[in-house]
Amino acid sequence: MTNCPECEATVENKDMVQGEVFPCPDCGTDLEVLGNSPFTIQPAPKEAEDWGE
Amino acid sequence: MSDPLRLGVFYTIIRPEEKWILAAAEARGISVVRLDDSEVTFGLDAPPDLPDVVLNRSVSHTRSVYASRCYAHYGVPTVNAPEVVELAGDKVLCSLRLAERGILTPKTVVALSPEAAMAAIERVGYPAVLKPAVGSWGRLMAKVDNAEDALQILEHKSALASPVHSVFYVQEFVPKPDRDLRAFVVGDEVVAAMFRRSSEWRTNAARGGSAEAAPLTSELTELSLRAADAVGGGVLAVDLMESSRGLVVHEVNPTPEFKALTAATGADIAGKIVDHAAALARP
Repeated sequence: MTNCPECEATVENKDMVQGEVFPCPDCGTDLEVLGNSPFTIQPAPKEAEDWGE
Repeated sequence: MSDPLRLGVFYTIIRPEEKWILAAAEARGISVVRLDDSEVTFGLDAPPDLPDVVLNRSVSHTRSVYASRCYAHYGVPTVNAPEVVELAGDKVLCSLRLAERGILTPKTVVALSPEAAMAAIERVGYPAVLKPAVGSWGRLMAKVDNAEDALQILEHKSALASPVHSVFYVQEFVPKPDRDLRAFVVGDEVVAAMFRRSSEWRTNAARGGSAEAAPLTSELTELSLRAADAVGGGVLAVDLMESSRGLVVHEVNPTPEFKALTAATGADIAGKIVDHAAALARP
């Protein structure tokens, strides 16, 4: 478990992999998994102009 | 026993598509080398321990272009090839190539200044669609219904700092049913297709469009393979519209998403992509 860097809510690792992006269950901020042992997260990268398919 | 094939996956974030690709590789005994596009550096000489093939899943067109070029420089095959990424990732270049191959596309006019863009819109006629040449998910696209709209939208685009917005890609608005089509091509096969429906004119899944499986008719299959071949082939999503002239191709995407398509069709697209990449690996 760790805490959301935005709202400090407790965030659990539910079989997520490094690099996966998920919303904070409390504040909805997109978070990115940095590592699993220990479980670390950071705000997900912001969508850039040249992003897309 | 020989060493397992090493598949480099160049990525920005891990979405369901990338998780499925990682799982498909693992199921095939393929070793995955994760290449985070925000961390990788490229020198002019090939580094040791390069993967045997690199699958590009970056969501950034710019990073995709340079990374593909660098891996090709090192002698590592990439999916897609750098030329394909450059061409298909730029709507202007892609439209030119489709036209050169005689593939039906919406009427398109390109302009390089706001003043010329107004003339381009008038040439296309109303309603017209303004799209950024690079990047998408339907962002920053605008439907232009009249001259007043055009002037306001061009004024807004002129205020954006990025040079991307000084290229004006203007396309006719194709009257179509409340849906368009996406065909997913891997190599020389159309692996699945879907209708994308939306209550608004943009049908992108990223904008909330819904998906349902579409039959692989001979017209759809043949046209999709021709469009994919036109940009150099590989793993490509061909977007089409049903117009009064028949099917028209409006985009070919070089790093396509397939979450909605997988859900709609059940096709093992990730597995097909991994098999395609593995077949291209250097010995």
